[in-house]
Amino acid sequence: MATLLTVDNVTQSFSLPNGSNYIAIKDIDLEIKDGEFVSLIGHSGCGKSTLLNLMAGLAQASQGGILMNGRQITDPGPDRMVVFQNYSLLPWQSVRQNIALAVDAVMADASGEERSAVVEANIKLVGLSQAAEKRPAELSGGMKQRVAIARALAIRPKLLLLDEPFGALDALTRGNLQQQLMQICQEAGVTTVMVTHDVDEALLLSDRVVMLTNGPEAGIGQILKVPLARPRQRLEVMEHPDYYALRGELIGFLQQQRRLRQRRGEAKAPRLAGAGTGARPSNGAPVSAAPTTIRLGYLPGLDIAPLALALDRGFFREQNLNVVPIVFSRWQQLEEKLKAGELDGAITSATTPLALTLGLHGKSGWPAITPMTVTRNGNALCMARRYLDAGVRSGRELAALLNAQAAPLRLAIGQKGSMQELLLRHWLASVGIDPDRQVTWITLSPLAMQAALVNGEIDGFIAGRYRVAQAVEAGLAYGLATDLEIWSGHPEKVFTCHEGWADSHQDSLLAFCAALMRAGQLCDDGAQRETLVGLLSRPQWLGVSSAVALQRQIDLGTGEPAGNRLPLNRYHSDRAHSANPAEGCWILSQFSRWGWSPFPSNRVELLSRVYRSDLCASALERAGFPALPTDRKPFALADGLSFDQDDPLAYLKALPFTGQPVVASLPLPDSASADRSLPSP
Amino acid sequence: MSTQISPDVAPVPGADGQAGNQPFLEFREVGQVFATQRGPFEALSQINLQVKQSEFVCVIGHSGCGKSTLLNMVSGFLKPSSGEVLLRGEPIGRPGPDRMVVFQNYSLLPWQTVEQNVDLAVRSARPELAVQARAAVVEHHLEMVGLIEARSKRPDEISGGMRQRVAIARAFAVSPQVLVLDEPFGALDAITKEELQEELLTIWREQKPTVLMITHDIDEALFLADRVVMMTNGPSATIGEIVQVPFERPRRFEAIQADPRYGELRNHALDFLYRRHAHDDA
Repeated sequence: MATLLTVDNVTQSFSLPNGSNYIAIKDIDLEIKDGEFVSLIGHSGCGKSTLLNLMAGLAQASQGGILMNGRQITDPGPDRMVVFQNYSLLPWQSVRQNIALAVDAVMADASGEERSAVVEANIKLVGLSQAAEKRPAELSGGMKQRVAIARALAIRPKLLLLDEPFGALDALTRGNLQQQLMQICQEAGVTTVMVTHDVDEALLLSDRVVMLTNGPEAGIGQILKVPLARPRQRLEVMEHPDYYALRGELIGFLQQQRRLRQRRGEAKAPRLAGAGTGARPSNGAPVSAAPTTIRLGYLPGLDIAPLALALDRGFFREQNLNVVPIVFSRWQQLEEKLKAGELDGAITSATTPLALTLGLHGKSGWPAITPMTVTRNGNALCMARRYLDAGVRSGRELAALLNAQAAPLRLAIGQKGSMQELLLRHWLASVGIDPDRQVTWITLSPLAMQAALVNGEIDGFIAGRYRVAQAVEAGLAYGLATDLEIWSGHPEKVFTCHEGWADSHQDSLLAFCAALMRAGQLCDDGAQRETLVGLLSRPQWLGVSSAVALQRQIDLGTGEPAGNRLPLNRYHSDRAHSANPAEGCWILSQFSRWGWSPFPSNRVELLSRVYRSDLCASALERAGFPALPTDRKPFALADGLSFDQDDPLAYLKALPFTGQPVVASLPLPDSASADRSLPSP
Repeated sequence: MSTQISPDVAPVPGADGQAGNQPFLEFREVGQVFATQRGPFEALSQINLQVKQSEFVCVIGHSGCGKSTLLNMVSGFLKPSSGEVLLRGEPIGRPGPDRMVVFQNYSLLPWQTVEQNVDLAVRSARPELAVQARAAVVEHHLEMVGLIEARSKRPDEISGGMRQRVAIARAFAVSPQVLVLDEPFGALDAITKEELQEELLTIWREQKPTVLMITHDIDEALFLADRVVMMTNGPSATIGEIVQVPFERPRRFEAIQADPRYGELRNHALDFLYRRHAHDDA
């Protein structure tokens, strides 16, 4: 089916009387096919009607645009008809006259007979022949709405837009009208977009249900395809074995949004309460006040280049921030200090915010958030030289070797459940190695990996370019695979902090992120490389050997003249900073794949709490960088299997070495922390 | 899987394993006939229902099924034309503080504050309470529905959801034995409605009055009730079927939705309302 309507990156904001701007919907992308029935569902204030009005041409988007058959919608037209909840019929005119009025206006060139035939046909279509002479006041609510629908259809629109058409009707009386509407739309073959908050109505009528997140800045949270065969009968549809699972998806989404909205309201309350007192040294402090201190944990590696640069260039001081970097040698120690409140934030693996929040590996849940990705790519799997001597130059060759021997492969990772482990497990599985049965996993400080390889305690490790380059340069090891062959552009390190700290220190947090983003841009700039090498060579960062790792041309140590190189980190370019919940959804799928956690049925709530794309957008704006609109399109890793965040279970089912996924609603930790204590009621 | 649906029209006392428990509220052969210009109109006929103390019963049916007539007889606004409505074995004669009603339209006194509205009801229903004890009762019930901060506001200064919270706090503060709820959440948006349903269950769990609630909303009935009474269409409406709701308390909305019995019960109720007792309202 051809695309009829394209909503392209649409943002709509309104100016408020106090001079500020209210952003109702943000970065909406949606394509609607010819003949499709799409519902928009969400809580009040989610911008459903705003979007519908834009489709109707009743308003113009602040940014982006809407195309119908390839032409931009700039004003209302007879090819799009809107039916509102309140019918909007002329009260002094009969049913027939109300419909004829619309037909006469649009079919001005047609003869009276033709027009009359169209009017009668549409009165008949909605079953109102008996009531054609009646005035609206003499009709029931349901009948009035049928007149409004007949009037809309009579002028043969390509697109029918329904704004809660049955919202004013009694819950038990909507059924017949829904059934009729479905038949009418099918007979007329009209593409329809309907705003509703009734989940049964959405499921009955729609081919797809688009679920919108809470406003302001509402966006598309999830899209549900409704695979129920047509023609549909209301009661039979509900008896379909999948019906309550589909309904549960919608109800679950709305419940999650409801909890998010309640949380947002609660988080705002203490800030408002403190607004008048001026006693907020950490939030929105004027420049003359004492700087805010941020104690930041990290492990040495090229990932911290933006941090080193931002400190060196005084980017944090400019923002009145006193950033105190605190170095760790083990990830576990860093996490413990973060959870104990001895750190305000940390540069962690991209999986850490979700792992902390869920309390993975038997820990208790700790509400973490991430407002930005610090770096992408930069990892390689490094194997002991003897594997190269045995002819192992690819994953398949490694699998063949493993299948011929009984002993499992001993691989080191810096942290259990880290992004590196997920990438490595994914790659191993894709070449036919069972990561749980054919591999022994050893968690080591990244600083100790090279020594362990020399001592023969491990066969290989996955680490960043810095560590791998050192091992390769020392002649001990070679790179068997890089993360570019697993997932090019994957999030590697992110900034992580407590949800409550982010709420109470939002201004400082945004200033910090903006400074880190600016430094990230410089790190990506080849012209800055010499400066960066000099800076990172200082003892407090990586020491002199960092120069080795930062030289552009380091091959994998396989002795091949050209081609494969150790991957470079990406600090800024190509949407590097984005805190993307779709990537978080992939991480959740892998937690479930390896049996570390059930797949959360409340993933939307979890991801919107952890992945703070709103803070990311504000920080980007502060840094003077363009916004990174959320991209909801499915993406694929190097194995080519498409990951659609709207259907992660299908992805899981297609992956090798994956059992039947367990889905459960996971408890999320409450962020009511000491620094946000509310007066108890 | 065996369903929990009980098709019996007139429940037998003790059928649920609590033999010997005398019905707290009982409709015995109740009928109601109204005189109209076109002659007598039989709204209700042959209503037999026994409600245990502390039971939460929802009554559901199409408009015109006589649900409100049923409630009016419990609250004492209306006497049955035939049969009896008994509370603790005694016929209900007139309205009394042992039975409180909450309507959809709140019925608050607009010139009084939230706190005064609740206080007034407590003062008239429980005159024996000392000033301090009464203040504590009012305070506690405002707190239960999250209205402490809005206590000094007048009804026109607060949202519909908050007004209905006042009405609920007022009803419970009186400590009635029977609480009659007449579509209390019908006019509220979905989020507010769910919040109020949860609050209603919390406050009900504390005092456990017997509740008779009218609703149009099957999901609401399945979330709140121990039993759902489904009415046939009028005229001469009667109880068509009673559905036992098996979900354990305290209940969580999402957990119930995910329960495989949920869809079955819901479809059973929908089948009753839309197939077996369909009603062309449109």
